[in-house]
Amino acid sequence: MAAEAPRTAVTLMIDGRGITVPKGTTVYQAARSAGVDIPIFCYHDRMPPLGACRMCLVEVQKMSKLQTACTLEASEGMVVSTTSPAVRAAQESMLELLLINHPLDCPICDKGGECPLQDQAFRYGPGRSRFIEAKRDHAKPLSLGPVLALDRERCILCWRCVRFGEIIAGDDALKGFERGFASEVGTPRALPVESKFIGNTIAICPVGALTSRTYRFRARPWDIDPVASTCTYCGVGCSVWLDVRGGEILRTRAREEPEVNDAWLCDLGFFGHGYVAAGDRLTTPLVRREGRLQEASWDEALDLVAERLRASAERGPGRVAFLGGRRLSNEDASAAAGFFRDVVGTPHLDHRVDAPPDGASLGVSWGLRSSLEDLGRGDVFVLVGCDITEEYPVLWLRIKAAIDRGASLVIVHAKRLEIRRHARRELLDRHDRLAPLVAALAADETVASGERVHVLLGRLAMDGPDGPNLLRSADSLVRRVNGTLHIARGRGNDFGAQRFGLLPGEGGMAAPGILQGAAAGAFDLLYVAGSDPATAVTDGAAWESARSGVGFLVVHEAFLSETAQAADVVLPALVLPEKDGTVTNLEGRTLALRAAVKGPGQARADREIFDLLAARMGVVRGHDTATRIEPVARIEPAAAGAGASPSLIVVVADRLFTQGSMAGRCRGLIELAGTAHCLIHPADAARAGVTDLGLVEMVTEHASVVVQARVSDVTLPGQVLVHRGYDGVPVHALARWSPAPAGVEVRPVAPPGGETP
Amino acid sequence: MATEAAMPESVLLRWVRTEGMAEIEQYRRAGGYDAARRVATELTPDQVIEMVAASGLRGKGGAGFPTAQKWKFIPKAAPVKYVVVNGDEGEPGTFKDRTLIEGCPHLLVEGILIAAVTIGARKVYIYLRREFYRGRLLLDAAIAQARAAGFVGERIFGSDHAVEIVVHPGAGAYIAGEETALLESLEGRRAMPRQRPPFPAVAGLYQQPTLVQNVETLCHLPVIIGLGPERYKELGPPVLFSVSGAVVRPGVYEAPLGVTLRSLIFDHAGGMRPGRRFKAAFPGGVSSVFLTEADLDVKMDPDSLRQAGTMLGSAAVIVVDDSADMVEVMARAVEFYRDESCGKCTPCREGTAWIAQVFERILHGRGRSEDLALLEGIAGGMTGTCFCPLGESVPPGLVASLRLFRDEYERRIAAGATDGR
Ligand SMILES: Cc1cc2nc3c(=O)[nH]c(=O)nc-3n(C[C@H](O)[C@H](O)[C@H](O)COP(=O)(O)O)c2cc1C
Ligand code: SF4
Ligand code: SF4
Ligand code: SF4
Ligand code: FES
Repeated sequence: MAAEAPRTAVTLMIDGRGITVPKGTTVYQAARSAGVDIPIFCYHDRMPPLGACRMCLVEVQKMSKLQTACTLEASEGMVVSTTSPAVRAAQESMLELLLINHPLDCPICDKGGECPLQDQAFRYGPGRSRFIEAKRDHAKPLSLGPVLALDRERCILCWRCVRFGEIIAGDDALKGFERGFASEVGTPRALPVESKFIGNTIAICPVGALTSRTYRFRARPWDIDPVASTCTYCGVGCSVWLDVRGGEILRTRAREEPEVNDAWLCDLGFFGHGYVAAGDRLTTPLVRREGRLQEASWDEALDLVAERLRASAERGPGRVAFLGGRRLSNEDASAAAGFFRDVVGTPHLDHRVDAPPDGASLGVSWGLRSSLEDLGRGDVFVLVGCDITEEYPVLWLRIKAAIDRGASLVIVHAKRLEIRRHARRELLDRHDRLAPLVAALAADETVASGERVHVLLGRLAMDGPDGPNLLRSADSLVRRVNGTLHIARGRGNDFGAQRFGLLPGEGGMAAPGILQGAAAGAFDLLYVAGSDPATAVTDGAAWESARSGVGFLVVHEAFLSETAQAADVVLPALVLPEKDGTVTNLEGRTLALRAAVKGPGQARADREIFDLLAARMGVVRGHDTATRIEPVARIEPAAAGAGASPSLIVVVADRLFTQGSMAGRCRGLIELAGTAHCLIHPADAARAGVTDLGLVEMVTEHASVVVQARVSDVTLPGQVLVHRGYDGVPVHALARWSPAPAGVEVRPVAPPGGETP
Repeated sequence: MATEAAMPESVLLRWVRTEGMAEIEQYRRAGGYDAARRVATELTPDQVIEMVAASGLRGKGGAGFPTAQKWKFIPKAAPVKYVVVNGDEGEPGTFKDRTLIEGCPHLLVEGILIAAVTIGARKVYIYLRREFYRGRLLLDAAIAQARAAGFVGERIFGSDHAVEIVVHPGAGAYIAGEETALLESLEGRRAMPRQRPPFPAVAGLYQQPTLVQNVETLCHLPVIIGLGPERYKELGPPVLFSVSGAVVRPGVYEAPLGVTLRSLIFDHAGGMRPGRRFKAAFPGGVSSVFLTEADLDVKMDPDSLRQAGTMLGSAAVIVVDDSADMVEVMARAVEFYRDESCGKCTPCREGTAWIAQVFERILHGRGRSEDLALLEGIAGGMTGTCFCPLGESVPPGLVASLRLFRDEYERRIAAGATDGR
């Protein structure tokens, strides 16, 4: 006897089998749940059904026409056939129609072998075509940007890519143009396509119409070994497949992980593997001899470092400091922390290399205070100084989905964010005047009436002149509305570094203190791993004087970074895609890394290096698992900075695509990063005589840089925005650590030999 | 306009054919806005719906859905509702809506007010075909006059009702006349039809309950309320027919529902042009299957036409005479669909283009005998598989032409073969 079905369930027959599904399920989903295959093209299970391709037609008793299974809701007693003669005929017709203008590209198409059109044509197609006319002829492929190519002849107009931009990313990156047979996909604004998520459209395109310009023609799917791993760029920790052939990662794809990235990646992750195989990877240890870094054996280099460490220990404890952690795995971080605390015996360790001394970043532990899933269930989101799409792109997709379900977004920022049109309220002011805006939010009706309010305090807020005030205001705001305050600070595996002990121990100094101490001669040896302080420290001069004040600098690096160039010993390190292990994402979740490829030359994992050193210092260590060290979570903002407010200030902002050491070595991403520029508000530009795209000199008390200007109201009056992570714009030289906002003067630079028109 | 023989008892065209009806004083002197005033101040919504139901009014946009029934689908309690006027009039051969708007824009405004007050909508959008430049100026002026008179805006006719009217020009796509594609377009997106259900009456513009109504349908409302449903029915009920093609006097004619095709052509439109014989006529725009000489006495009402295998559609009668080649006529119709297919669904987007290619070959002397079976085959693949009626309109007419005028196709193909190609 059948169990009594709950009221919310319906039972239908599909191909003679009774199937019970929850009410509201489509016939397609019902069939799939029972293992009955219905061919689809336009339907994608992360988007509402569209009913456009007509591939999923089924016959339903008592309905005069064939029905699209993807749009039809299953109802009680419905009798469905997916194989009737009428269905077969319709499937053949749809495929014949889709193929009449489809080019015979299969032998050279990237999609070949993993192509739904190929598969469906094989299974359901007519086997022959009655089409004798000339096929549609388009120039191919069309480049839509540095990473995306569109072959319009191959496009079957399933609308998935267009709807991805409308529904999932909210960036409307691709749109349909023209009508009917002439319809084609294109960009609504000028080229290149504007999106941080365009890789996903390549992934969901059911044919080879959208392809990756970095992967085109490089491999066939059957030659590839996919390795399940984790993206380690921004800290969201998206699950990925690293597709490997011949010892090289050729492509990155999203691996479904509903609790983290669902089915998506951002383009940094999607196109961000190229650096692993870069030609300038370090392959042997380097030791400074006669003022020059020269190749050395591991034994020579390690002996030298061990000797220096021992010598320092003889002079007294705590005369060694360690900086870094962002690019280490949990296991590396744990090994580093253990090594410095227990073997070397120093409390001066910190991964927060990019934190200034006066902001709020040093007083609070970094990361989310709830799981990503909980956050996604919020009904009000307040982004304070958090440029979510530039900093944690895939987290934005979760917030966007919540907004579509009715949640509200409030933005407090010093910049007009690209997601502003999704916001219910946008509160803008100059970087040094954000705190009152947050304080005023308590009176905001939307925020006050929210039941699950999530406030994300970002780097721009935390590290700014008003950071401590903002932290206090945000903290009291969430207390009042019973919400959650998230510290949207940290990248890569900063969260693992924090969790596994790369923080100052008892009596230890934080990163700025370590640098100041080094400058004052407090340390014999500075040790850096998983970081490039020469570019990361926000006060470039502080790094310079630290470097000159310390006798010996040891660096683990994959590339000859600026820090490495200044080192006494450089040890070649594996990068994360070359290591087995784990990382920690911004919600504190442990995620697995799997070595996709072997490292170059003699490069070694960081933790192995620490173990070898420990052995040389008489301690044998093993690190099969990382040991967790509870971080000290406290909110103790420093006093607010005071001081006169200059009329034009410089604000340094984060950008997703940069020329950083990893992204800057990835084809596609380099072009996406573009050239360095500053953003200046039209009012300030007019006053300073600056024209759009003209060169300007930005002069601060400490330095001057020449950079291209973009006149734009993305920034606000009284504030010039520059991005971190560009060669040639040493933004960290422009200002010194100071609780006051940094004044700047902007002057147009006449083009060499040119007349001003 | 004097050349057109308006029926003696014309109830709709009377407003259009009288000079000066674009001016509110003239319109009011003739009794204009009395019906809307009664609806706003005296009648209950249920009473109005009853009157419309009793009149038997059916939508004039093409689908012929009973108007009162559609009004009843609108959830009464919904806080926000819209009326959207379908003024896109894109069906080839249809020009009655334009005639109404240009002749008497106040009739439409009054009809809008009746509908909006009855269903409780405070905001009305008129989605107007872009090419109606003159109509747009006249409508804007009429709305301004009605606003000045207190008939549009807050507290219309001194009642508690408020009605705002916004005119929104389209961008020239036939598919934007399909009600859900129209709503997409109005919301700023590409005009492609939406999945139904939900129907616009439940979730339409911005997902709120929305009444989408054709211009002519709305223009019937003041007449129905003014005359009462019984008298309205006695007088027809009236329908506006757009008669075009090979007749002596093409134009808009008011005739009672059920008038014969013969009477429309020969009594109203002055008959066939001298020396020409009737060959075929599309009774409801090119989307309807054409009728031939044997059907001349068919009654022009939805049921009779359905029995004849076609439909009343937008009541656009396109008359074809014996000088026309049916292959060329069908090729022209197919080109229209190819150009106007929105591109959303596979069978319509690809099928119309393919069929048009085959026609082009046949017309250029490169037809093959197997092409007729091929055309039937493509039509078969499109039948019942398209997303919306646009694509579904193609196969029936095409298949009928292949059946009834097969000799003309065969002659074309044979002539091509002997052309020495
Ligand atoms: C392809 C297509 C085009 C249409 N074009 C028009 C049009 O131009 N004007 C119109 O009123 N209805 C048009 N319709 C019908 C509308 O979808 C809808 O049925 C009508 O606006 C409802 O109003 P009514 O009930 O007053 O007729 C079209 C339908 C289709 C399928
Ligand atoms: S490019 Fe691909 S995803 Fe986009 S519409 Fe064409 S086939 Fe679909
Ligand atoms: S969102 Fe972050 S973790 Fe995810 S793919 Fe992008 S950079 Fe990688
Ligand atoms: S049938 Fe034609 S017009 Fe209708 S949705 Fe399909 S492509 Fe668009
Ligand atoms: S998958 Fe159902 S219509 Fe495309």
